[in-house]
Parts: sequence; C-alpha cells; structure tokens
Amino acid sequence: MSDRTLFEKYGGFASVSKVVLAFYDTLLDSDEIGPFFDDVDMSRMVDHQTKFISSLLGGPASYTDVQLRQFHRNLDITNAHFDELKVVLEETLANHGFEPEDIQTALDAIEARRELIVD
Amino acid sequence: MSIEAINEQLLRAIGVGVALLGRKTLQFHFHNDTFEEWFGNPNGPATLQDIFSDFDVEELNKSLNETGRYTTEVKFKKKRRTMVIALDFTATEEREPEIAVLVCQNITRIRELESMIDSYSMMVERNTREIKREKEQVEKLLLNLMPRSVYEEYKTFGVVTPQLYEPVSVLMLDFVGFSETVTALDPSVTVTELNDIYSSFDRIGEQFGCERIKTIGDAYITVAGLPDPTPDHARAAANAAIRFIRYLERRNASHPHQWQCRIGLGVGSVVGSVVGIQKYVYDIFGPAVNHATRLQSFSEPMQISVQDEMARALSEQFELENMGVQSISGLPDQPVWRLLDNRKGIAASV
Repeated sequence: MSDRTLFEKYGGFASVSKVVLAFYDTLLDSDEIGPFFDDVDMSRMVDHQTKFISSLLGGPASYTDVQLRQFHRNLDITNAHFDELKVVLEETLANHGFEPEDIQTALDAIEARRELIVD
Repeated sequence: MSIEAINEQLLRAIGVGVALLGRKTLQFHFHNDTFEEWFGNPNGPATLQDIFSDFDVEELNKSLNETGRYTTEVKFKKKRRTMVIALDFTATEEREPEIAVLVCQNITRIRELESMIDSYSMMVERNTREIKREKEQVEKLLLNLMPRSVYEEYKTFGVVTPQLYEPVSVLMLDFVGFSETVTALDPSVTVTELNDIYSSFDRIGEQFGCERIKTIGDAYITVAGLPDPTPDHARAAANAAIRFIRYLERRNASHPHQWQCRIGLGVGSVVGSVVGIQKYVYDIFGPAVNHATRLQSFSEPMQISVQDEMARALSEQFELENMGVQSISGLPDQPVWRLLDNRKGIAASV
C-alpha cells in the first residue's frame, strides 16, 4: 500500500517505542526545553511523548488543533524553544534510521503547528 | 590483590546499589558507589531515616522479623527525571552484630516502559472501539440496502450470487401528483414527510414479512417471499397494501399535507442481486416487478390493483372486485382485480 504511514513503515510500535524513549531522554536532558517538564509527573510525561511521536508518525493518536493550543497555553513557549524541539526530534529520528525525506515530513508536520504551540 | 579486596571492588563498581545496615540501629556500615550516586553519601552515623525521610521503619522491622525480607520502592528526582528505585532488604542470620543487606535496583526504565505501554494500549483500545462503532454503522447501512442473508453472503464471500426467487409477490407504491407536491412544499418538508411515511411502511411491511427493496423518489417497492420463501407471500403483500392505504388515510386526517398513493400487486419470479461495484445496491428484476409497476400506474388514487394470478390466491381471504379484462401498456390484455379493504365495509355498516 502506498499510503502507509511512517509509523507502519518504521515497524509500528515495536520500533517507535524506542524513538519515544530516546526522545524522552533527550528532552529531559535538554537545558532549553527540559525545564518545561520540571514539575510534570513521569507517567504523564511518557504518555505525552508516546502520543506526540505516535501522532506525528501517523500512528493511533491524533490531536486536534484546539487540543494542541489548549495544552500549550500559558507555557511561554518561544520560537527558540520550538526550534530546539525540532533539532532534538531531527537528531532522534536520524539516530533511529529514519530516512532524510521522512524526517523532513515529520518536521514539516510540526512546523505546520508552530502557531498553535508558540505563545 | 586479596579475594576480599576484589570482592569489595566488585561491590563498589556494580550497577546495583548495595549497603549494609545495622539491623537494630539502621545505621549505615557500608555503601557502594552506585548507592552514593543515587542517594548521596551516608556520612558518619547516618541512619536509614536520614537518607529516606518518609521511610516506614515499623513496616520494615515487622517484615524483617517475620520473613527476613522487605521490599519497597522510592522515587526521587534526578535533575528533572523521576527515578524509581526498588529497595530490597534482607536480614542476615546468625551473625553478631545483626545486619541488614540493602540491594537497590534502578527500575526507572521499567516504570517508564510501563507508562508507555499504558499510554499506547489506551490509544489502541480507543481506536479499536471507534473502528467497531464504525463497522456497526456500516453494517447498519448495508442492512438498509439489502436483506440480512444477502449481506451475510456479501460479507463472507465479497460477492453476491444473483438468486432466482420464485414465486414472490411484489408491491409497488407510487404517490399521486408527487411532482406537484414537491414543487409546492419546502424540500426539507418533503424529505421529512417521505421519511416518516416510508419508515411507517417499513414497519408495517415488516409485520407481514415484507422486505423493502428500495425507494426511488416517490416509488416504494417491497416484496414478500424473499429472501426466505413463504407460501403465503400473496397474502403478506395484500395485507401490507391494505395497511399502507389505511395508514395514509389516518395520517391525512391529522396532517396538513395530504398523500394519495396508487398500489400495484404482481406475482411471479424475480432475480435478486447486488448491482454495481462501487455504488452498489440490492435490486430485483423480473416479471413480478414489471406487473406490479404497470398495475400501480393503472390504479386509481388510493386503490390497489392486483394481477389475475395473485387475485386467485387471495380470493378466499380478501374481498376483490373484478375489473374485467384490461389493456395496460406494456402488458398483454388480462383480467385485473381491485383489492378491497373488507374492514371498511364493516366500518360503514356500524
């Protein structure tokens, strides 16, 4: 099937779960974005990243624009934070064998939502 | 290097936190590097409570006394990551002074994975529920388009084999002056009215074992004896036809919009099949459909015209009026009968 999602292309949840955990680790270590998660409970944070990566790759999760805006409201997220997140994501996907073209697709999908996230 | 020294080196370097405590005092006698990395250095006469502030010492002592072991978990933040460490205490036996061995395992990753599986399975379960709901809706829709047995065949094999049903009775109903009604009424009113009437026809038909095949605008076609053959298909169609008229009369008496219909009843064989690949529909073809259609257009408003062969089957139980031999377009000249509602005769005499 030509219209299969990146989620399916890269081996479903068995593989995507590794991306989620790596992304989670990098986010927590990041001094730019990490502080946003200082007071977030671990299971909520993991839940958030699982859904984020899954929906980004076309897996079984999706957020509406209204939800995205609601989740990120009042967090003082700047364009610099947003750019940093893209860098972290790009590295994570590259480390897990994603092809450059597919990484770009994922980054474009995030970029399209910049206005919903950045205050 | 002595064996003792090697043991100690191993104990220090291992990725598991290890500490030795006085059994009674709960003071630290020894801890390895991993322990220190996680919990800091228990300097001097530090006790368990100094390192783990909310520790349930009572529970620990109770469990160590009873079983010699105690297991618990502690959580703390390292930078901003929530660390989860499993603590496992074992009391040593027959040694003075009594000590407790504390082994600490980092189960952070396990907890993170559990959270991720929870999150993922919840998403999948929700999707599964949605898919199930959608499937039910599709099924409901398809069951509106075709009889259940045909749908089951379609679901199992992906195709429906055309079937000859013989004999069946076909009821064709059409509204009088429908085009004028449509132009006179608001479109949404027309649709609401038709929806209401057709739904009632469906219910009435169902009572008598008729299967609605389709509606085309103001034409309503239902059939008895399909998909399951029934010996009294003619009676079923006749009963439905009489009730359709009664229903409309009752409805007209209380509704602002008046609906008059003509009905034709035909009998014979039909072929039933799903037609079309993308936009498929279940349809029937054959002489019975043709007869019903022609007789319907021959009918006067609110009258039911019946094919000769069918009238004979109905004559014992229904009141029929002989209309004589009629020439109807598309059919050879033939006797036609009018089906009467014998309850009306009773009603009139009361």
